[in-house]
Amino acid sequence: MLLGNYCGQRSSLARAILVSVFASILATSCGGGDGRGPAASTAAIDPATGLSLAATAGQALFSDTSLSVSGRQSCGTCHVPQHAFAQDPATDHGLPVPLGGPNMDQTGFRNTPSLMYASFTPPFSLDGGPVGGFFRDGRASSLAAQAQQPFLTDFEMANQTEGETIGRLQNSPATLQAFVAAYGQAVLSDPHAAMQDVGLALAAYETEDPDFHPFTSKFDYWQQGKATLSVDELAGLSLFNNPGKGNCTACHPSQAQSFSTHPLFTDFSFDNIGVPRNWQIPANTPGAVSPISGAPLVTVAPIDVPSDAGYAYYDMGLCGPLLPSANDVNARADLSATTTLCGIFKVPTLRNIALTSPYFHNGIFTDLHQVVEWYVTRDINNNYDNNPTPVAAGAGGNPYQAIGTFYTAADGSPDADQYNDLPVAYDANVNIVEVPYTPPTFAGGQAPTLTPQEIDQLVAFLCTLSDGFDPSDPGAYTVPSQCQPSAAQTALANQ
Amino acid sequence: MKLRSPPHPSRSSKAPALAALLTASLSLYATTAPAADGTPGAKTQQQEIDLLIQQLQGLQQQMQQLAQQNQQLMQRQQELEQQLHGAAPAPAPAPGVVAGVPPASNPVPPSGAGPVPPAYEAKAGEATSGQPASVTAYSGDSLFSNLRLWGYGEVYYNKPVHDNARSQIDLARAVFGIGYQFNSRTEFNSEYEVEHAVASASDPGEFEVEQFYIDRQLTDWASLRAGLFLMPFGLLNEHHEPTNFYGVQRNFVETLIIPSTWREGGLNLHGDTPVGLSWSAGVTSGFDLSKWDFAPENPTYSTALELEDSDTAPLQASHQELALANAQHFSEFVALNYFGVPGLDLGGAYFTGDAVKVPAPPNAPIPGNQRVTLWEGHARWTPGRFDLSALYARGSISNLAIANASNPGSPNPVPSQFYGYYFQGAYTLWDEGEYRLTPFARYEYYDMGSKYEGTDGPVLPAGAVPLSGSPGDYGTWPVGRDRVWSFGANFYLTQHVVFKADYQHFDYNTDFSRVDFGIGLAF
Repeated sequence: MLLGNYCGQRSSLARAILVSVFASILATSCGGGDGRGPAASTAAIDPATGLSLAATAGQALFSDTSLSVSGRQSCGTCHVPQHAFAQDPATDHGLPVPLGGPNMDQTGFRNTPSLMYASFTPPFSLDGGPVGGFFRDGRASSLAAQAQQPFLTDFEMANQTEGETIGRLQNSPATLQAFVAAYGQAVLSDPHAAMQDVGLALAAYETEDPDFHPFTSKFDYWQQGKATLSVDELAGLSLFNNPGKGNCTACHPSQAQSFSTHPLFTDFSFDNIGVPRNWQIPANTPGAVSPISGAPLVTVAPIDVPSDAGYAYYDMGLCGPLLPSANDVNARADLSATTTLCGIFKVPTLRNIALTSPYFHNGIFTDLHQVVEWYVTRDINNNYDNNPTPVAAGAGGNPYQAIGTFYTAADGSPDADQYNDLPVAYDANVNIVEVPYTPPTFAGGQAPTLTPQEIDQLVAFLCTLSDGFDPSDPGAYTVPSQCQPSAAQTALANQ
Repeated sequence: MKLRSPPHPSRSSKAPALAALLTASLSLYATTAPAADGTPGAKTQQQEIDLLIQQLQGLQQQMQQLAQQNQQLMQRQQELEQQLHGAAPAPAPAPGVVAGVPPASNPVPPSGAGPVPPAYEAKAGEATSGQPASVTAYSGDSLFSNLRLWGYGEVYYNKPVHDNARSQIDLARAVFGIGYQFNSRTEFNSEYEVEHAVASASDPGEFEVEQFYIDRQLTDWASLRAGLFLMPFGLLNEHHEPTNFYGVQRNFVETLIIPSTWREGGLNLHGDTPVGLSWSAGVTSGFDLSKWDFAPENPTYSTALELEDSDTAPLQASHQELALANAQHFSEFVALNYFGVPGLDLGGAYFTGDAVKVPAPPNAPIPGNQRVTLWEGHARWTPGRFDLSALYARGSISNLAIANASNPGSPNPVPSQFYGYYFQGAYTLWDEGEYRLTPFARYEYYDMGSKYEGTDGPVLPAGAVPLSGSPGDYGTWPVGRDRVWSFGANFYLTQHVVFKADYQHFDYNTDFSRVDFGIGLAF
């Protein structure tokens, strides 16, 4: 694209100065390539898909379950198009983590992130604080590097080698045809090179196909003056932006950044926000077996945790236990020794957030109201250390969830541990310095920065970020269930 | 440093002058000698000899007188040459000193033509104005005589009276200037500034080119300037050296409304008229709103010092400083100053130009342009030991309704109107030799957002908010307007070195009230 612009500018200059020889040289160099190399063939457009040959191959690879050992899992099994390319809780038996493995009975370790808008992610960097990279911990260097790894992961598609994966590809005629059309036959004899192309094809698909970044939310049309936000939705956006109320925009910018001309609702930074431990993830319970089959579960080597930690296993994001793949030569360094980074995860986009329940890396929350309420009361009514004598919930009292609702021990009782999905020694890593957190050090007293009604308004705004809105027929849009106004709200609105 | 230069034309003119003097002396001798020869022969030889000796002695005296005169003339010529060529930025004559003669049209000081700096002209009879007196490196050597060096700098100590923890001391700026005189009508001036002592990726400082221009005198009444130059706005922008203003830091109106030190790149035609009117007009680069931050998470400033330094004010946030500046639009300006009455400067300036627009979503371009306009009017009167001044400045940005409405809840929408004014009085209470003590008082009002389109204004969080992101650092979000009272004094050790002290009281952002001490110098 850059080359095209450059050439266009130069050739117009050439016309202006009427140097025909110079112009003809430029015209030659701008002629669209020399016909050699993979770029030339993969750049051609497949008329059936409207995508490049590479992206067309990626589309076929994306939904081909025969490439997994179980024969039942493809990329699209966990990244479900109808769920904004994130997890379908129904498929995964209601678990917050996906199922996979040779028998589809192994459980993963993290909630499946949406692939939408992932192609805008910058490379990982630690300059000025961690930012970018792929997976929730930025451990893959590129979309292509990331896309190869589920094929070779024991608890996902479970191929043991690249050769095994490419062998399955060679036994899948339709996908193979698309792959060969883009990359040729010869590469199949080199499984490592072919695997790289598999990754490139998937990356091309996710980058080219507008399904992954349509920018067709009600918010987008409102920005363009083609849709109207309701009073609550607009109030919600205002709370979202207000640095003293939601302050959501601090990490989920509603203003376009350098990554795109559209707002992406993430700055791709990392943060440790101290979310509660999710006991629905089998890995969090020592000795847990598959809830599907009772079979033993694949484990990852836990990273060292401080001796005073409450549990033996923690998922601590940037510092592990999932580590960069040896196949990804450009991946970031292993950061498991950098304990100040323990517990931080990449900030996700909020586009389509209403479609991607459950929430956070461990899928601890199932609806957005819960999420926002947890944010504004994290340091008040849900944490014994901060507030051992909270106001009781109920009429006339605390309008928020009662203490103990969010941070629970394995048996469901309130967990006295502050930020219980982190070893106590790393509690200091948790972000307490930004609104909407109101830690005990907060000047002027601790009060949630949002009222319950404001939380509803904020959620109403978040619901405008789902793609697929048609401004000419707003009624045709399927409103996610959690975005439909509650009976109480409807009654209030009708008064 | 480039020191080689072509021979200075005015230096080579010394030789003919000397030759003329010699010729005159010889011709004087020639006219005297025949008179001696024509003495009547009745006198004795001894008498003739005595007479000749007397005449010779008389001639020697005359020669000595001529030699003295010659020396005086040469000295005078050197002085004139220095004033004409070697001394730019020459001290601009104070309006009170040379009535009717517009200051600094030629030679052009590096800070540009304009009103005389306040601190100096208050001193009656002082030969120099507040312009930094440049020095000529190795004067007398023709290789260097066209090169000029000058500099200025200032150190601040600021202590907020309610919050000692936010006290700061800062080498706010260290500036050096380099100028070069190509010929009697063409010169180059430039200034280089280090702000906040250390400029690196991990330090707060910056290194900037503040001026970089060529100035060519076209006629007696007009000169053309091209490059990066200071905009002739207000009383301070072109005369921002610390010896030229009262108070430790520059006033807020000429920092937040007129974005001093404000410079643009382009062309500028300027000149003076015999009636004391100086004028300036030009076409320049303009402002860029495309990087406007609608969503600062924390207040961008929490002290008065940070307010001036944070680039929060609308034109501070959008000026481009000729750093890969977007040049899709050009702006125009005109400025007039009247110096026709001794001790009085009346002036004003007007700038307008389309800015690079606030970003809009793709497929939804904001129709029309967003135009930045800024105007100001100022007056300064220096009767005797008094130095009285007043200034009003107002800016506007058009077509912001869509941009602001797209960012509801923003603590920092783009203002469509902003303005400020001040009144200042100073009095030279005491002076002895080079010492001078000048107390002053100033009242100013600034409003960085007096009117908004598409929003009711900034949505500022009530109560305590995190100020910096450091644990436990909370405070209130400041408002973008204030009434500021300043009381203090400048004490001049010499005309080039000043010690300052002041107290500033803020009516709205009361936490900003502070005591300041400063050191400034300019040469």
